[in-house]
Amino acid sequence: MKVFNKKGLSALAAVAILAAACGGSTASTAGKTLTIGISFPLNGSALASAGPARDGALLAIKEASIEGYTLKAKVLDHAKEGAHNPDQAAADMLTFVGQEDVVAVVGPFNSASARAQIPVSSEAGLLQCSPSNTNPTLTKGADGEALRGGRNYVRVATTDDLQGPAVAVYAKKNGAAKIYILDSTDAYGKGVADAFEAKFIADGGTVVGRQGLPTGTTDFSAAATAAKAAGADSIFYGGVTSDGAPLFRNALAQAGLGALPFYGADGIYDGTSEGSYIAIAGANAENSYASQAAIENIPGKADFNVKFKAEFGKDAEGYAYAGYACAQIIIEGIAAAVAGGDVTRETVRAAVVDKGAAFETVLGSVSFDAVGDTTQRIISLYKVDGGAWKFVEEINYGN
Amino acid sequence: MATASVTSSTAGRLLGNLRLPLSILAFLGLALGVLGIDQFVNAMTLGAIYALVALGYTMVYGIIELINFAHGDVFMVGSFVAMFISSSLLGNEGAITNVPMLAASVLILFALTISVMALLGALIERLAYRPLRRAPKLAPLITAIGVSFILQNVIQFFFGPTIVTVPQLVPIEWSIQVSGSRVPLLNLFVIATSVILMVALQLFISRTRTGRAMRTTSMDRDASSLMGVDINRTIMITFLIGSGLAGAAGVVHGLYYGNTTFGLGFQSGLKAFTAAVLGGIGNTAGAALGGFLIAFVEVGASAFGYGRWGGAIVFSLLVIFLVFRPTGLLGSHTGDRA
Repeated sequence: MKVFNKKGLSALAAVAILAAACGGSTASTAGKTLTIGISFPLNGSALASAGPARDGALLAIKEASIEGYTLKAKVLDHAKEGAHNPDQAAADMLTFVGQEDVVAVVGPFNSASARAQIPVSSEAGLLQCSPSNTNPTLTKGADGEALRGGRNYVRVATTDDLQGPAVAVYAKKNGAAKIYILDSTDAYGKGVADAFEAKFIADGGTVVGRQGLPTGTTDFSAAATAAKAAGADSIFYGGVTSDGAPLFRNALAQAGLGALPFYGADGIYDGTSEGSYIAIAGANAENSYASQAAIENIPGKADFNVKFKAEFGKDAEGYAYAGYACAQIIIEGIAAAVAGGDVTRETVRAAVVDKGAAFETVLGSVSFDAVGDTTQRIISLYKVDGGAWKFVEEINYGN
Repeated sequence: MATASVTSSTAGRLLGNLRLPLSILAFLGLALGVLGIDQFVNAMTLGAIYALVALGYTMVYGIIELINFAHGDVFMVGSFVAMFISSSLLGNEGAITNVPMLAASVLILFALTISVMALLGALIERLAYRPLRRAPKLAPLITAIGVSFILQNVIQFFFGPTIVTVPQLVPIEWSIQVSGSRVPLLNLFVIATSVILMVALQLFISRTRTGRAMRTTSMDRDASSLMGVDINRTIMITFLIGSGLAGAAGVVHGLYYGNTTFGLGFQSGLKAFTAAVLGGIGNTAGAALGGFLIAFVEVGASAFGYGRWGGAIVFSLLVIFLVFRPTGLLGSHTGDRA
């Protein structure tokens, strides 16, 4: 068991990487500096899931070169006390808006932070690409329209109105009939649980109980006992690791329900590093299932993994590919703006949002619909097997 | 006639003395009937932990009338000290099934953690509160909040802001059957530990010289001082005991939940404060009672699917008590400072 954390070390590493990234591009033709903002929660439990997305974006920016310009990355961390903080996310977005050479932003990671950031970036006409936001109301319907002033927000992850149901379909297929649902009461957790519940009931399943316990809850024993009393044969948790997903899993095991399948969405798909779902739940994590609102089997994955490992000394996981793809899309937008002879926030934004055609990214062909959602609508499903997440199958909802 | 009236007043007094135990029994019976055995055990376990933390709160308030906002974080530090001792010093990784080994490990764990935390509590008192003893009330209060931040940040620096796992020494599979329900021994262990410590504390306060000194100091510090009570020593012992109990709560929290995090102190501090106020701040038996009451409210809410309202109900109770019964369930102090 590790006792002292590696926070200081990883912060140093991040600085070193950043310095390397900047150093790499300054070596190319000096000219006007263009900066791509990177906005993620990067400490505590949040780092386990958002760190790979940041690294992916940094790698893409390091590799890119645009004639006559210097491309830089600027990373801001909006995690406070180990969890993403929407207020800090909005403040960071304001910092990016205030820095003239920032032409686009990769991020944020969590939907609640996106809700805080989009009005700010939208007002400034600053392009924003999220690798991992999955809450549908960020873009769709009246909520999405009210949130954004203009069209400046795109995302390469598909949405919880597909992710929740995909997990429901998979759970049904696994034999789940009577499910107990717990959510974290926030935008993401409740949203994905709602979508799961609707599909599960529509497919003939029974929800034997449901409630919400907010972030910061430490005692899940009463909820676990309630699930037992209700006679659940499976559990669904809507929320992220730091909301308490592994604590709930441990409480279930303590109540004698450790053998029940435990379903979650991408909120608990966060690898195996310190603070991750698997690290905290330990042996109880077996028999857990999760999803990711992204493609698992990307074209050329092996090559990407090799160069990612060479750069960061660790394996690419989670949303690393999506973070890379977001940066690729922004860089292509910048290149198009450069080709048009005028590089401003507006031309970069228009080049991405109004492109009409698909972007060739590490995820494959990605294009955006009228509200900025990706048309690559694939949900990947995973299972904990031998202390690590293993890919099981994907559900493709087509274009 | 005279004999009859004496008998009736004796019976009345007896009934008066029994009112509290009887109402507690009635409440427990009702809770057991409504919640069922499983949830009842959950609530008792949670209440045992809240009560241990609330005791330290209420003792410090009783003796120097300071709302020690750092106490929740002392509990949190206790849980980390227990984790460190258990996993790093004793090298535990999980459950110990050998009973003598288990007993030895748990005893060493309690002894070391309680000692370390008692010293830390005394150190905090010496450095942060004693210099301000004659200062206006607000100064030590703000200092307490400062101490709380210091403890949180020190723990965050050394152990990081993520949830940290703690070895669960008592096997969670061990259980007994009570009328068809499986009651884990771990829960019974937590409840028993807490009750033993609470009884020991009551005996200490009511039967020993130091306990008497604590009581007189809380009644009138200056008069006690004139009667030869060493005030500094008495206050320091109060902090030693209160923080030691928080350390014990930290051990119990780790054994029961198998994890801890640096943010644990904030929520549990608020809960313990509420428990202390509900029970009558300054009153040790009341604080324990308040801790159990809160646990029953929270577990009850969660048992019926309204878990998200648990916190709201608890803090509404706090407001209602502060407005309508500031002396709390058992309190005899006037509520002017609570």
